[in-house]
Amino acid sequence: MAKAQDIDVAASEPFRQAGARVVRVRAGELFEYGDGVLDTRDIERVHDMRVASRRLRAVLEIFAPCFPQAEFKGVLRDVKQLADALGERRDPDVHIDALQAFSKALLAANKPGVARLVEDMRARQSRGNELLAAALERARERGLHERLLALADEAEAQPE
Amino acid sequence: MKARRVKGLDPDGTLADNAERIVRVRLDELCSFMPTAGDPDEIGALHDMRIAAKRLRYVLEVTGPCFGDYAKTATKHVKELQDLLGEIHDCDVQIPETVAFAERLQSADAAALREAAGAADDLDPTLLKQAPHAREHAGLVALQVHLRARRLLLFDRFLELWDDYERKGFRARLEYAVGERSDDHEAQRPLASGAP
Repeated sequence: MAKAQDIDVAASEPFRQAGARVVRVRAGELFEYGDGVLDTRDIERVHDMRVASRRLRAVLEIFAPCFPQAEFKGVLRDVKQLADALGERRDPDVHIDALQAFSKALLAANKPGVARLVEDMRARQSRGNELLAAALERARERGLHERLLALADEAEAQPE
Repeated sequence: MKARRVKGLDPDGTLADNAERIVRVRLDELCSFMPTAGDPDEIGALHDMRIAAKRLRYVLEVTGPCFGDYAKTATKHVKELQDLLGEIHDCDVQIPETVAFAERLQSADAAALREAAGAADDLDPTLLKQAPHAREHAGLVALQVHLRARRLLLFDRFLELWDDYERKGFRARLEYAVGERSDDHEAQRPLASGAP
């Protein structure tokens, strides 16, 4: 399960300085979880990356005034798109997991209906995986990680 | 749900002063959904409250160490609330999905039985056994019952949890805590952010 890295903060430090540091760490976490995320046999990987994307999006929104707005808007949009794609994969993962657990407690006569729904969810999971693969490729092509780091640099470079 | 705008943020101001403004707005946003979200039929309000809890949680996770001790307790409370609202939301998504799926199979079976009846004057009930999804309907009904019952149970837990927070003065204590500043001379450790 995704545990966010602890980030030291000081109450009196400049907002922009804290924002730059926090965004660098959260951006690093997002891409760190990217390895093996398309493997549907291990649903925790996509879960970890999705949580990391939520945390990154949240800190971008918290520290929004610290960043040059034109670049910021494009980066935030790309992070949201990646987060949405992670959701498209994660939602059926969660549903399948819950259905399989539920099915274990069922009478034999009730199992086929739930199995049929799992089958339907597997197809949705597969479509979600294709969307996620495309989103990951797009993030790579558009240099999302590098743009996030550049955004943090620019926040810090502003005169205090 | 679009987040309420936080006015007066200053990139050159201190982290704590800016974070205080954000937390106050996000806390007010969260609390504003009650009592509306306390109505089990207000699914939209409950969903928005979950998003508001998520926003408050993440700002507290990052900036909580700037404030008084209660900020740490509040972060745990908000996480617990967000998790519970997330479970309820899962039911709110899965119930209509399951209903729609069951209806698709029923419609398919009805069409197949009509086809099988051919030119008969009326439908022979014994044809039901031949329906392509005959063995699947019962499990889907059981699932719908389970999801609806689980939603009722989780919603009761949500009401109890919120009552508990109100009794403990969650809002007032967090508002007080964000007015305090932690000692800048000490090493400031962030909150354990733990599970998502």
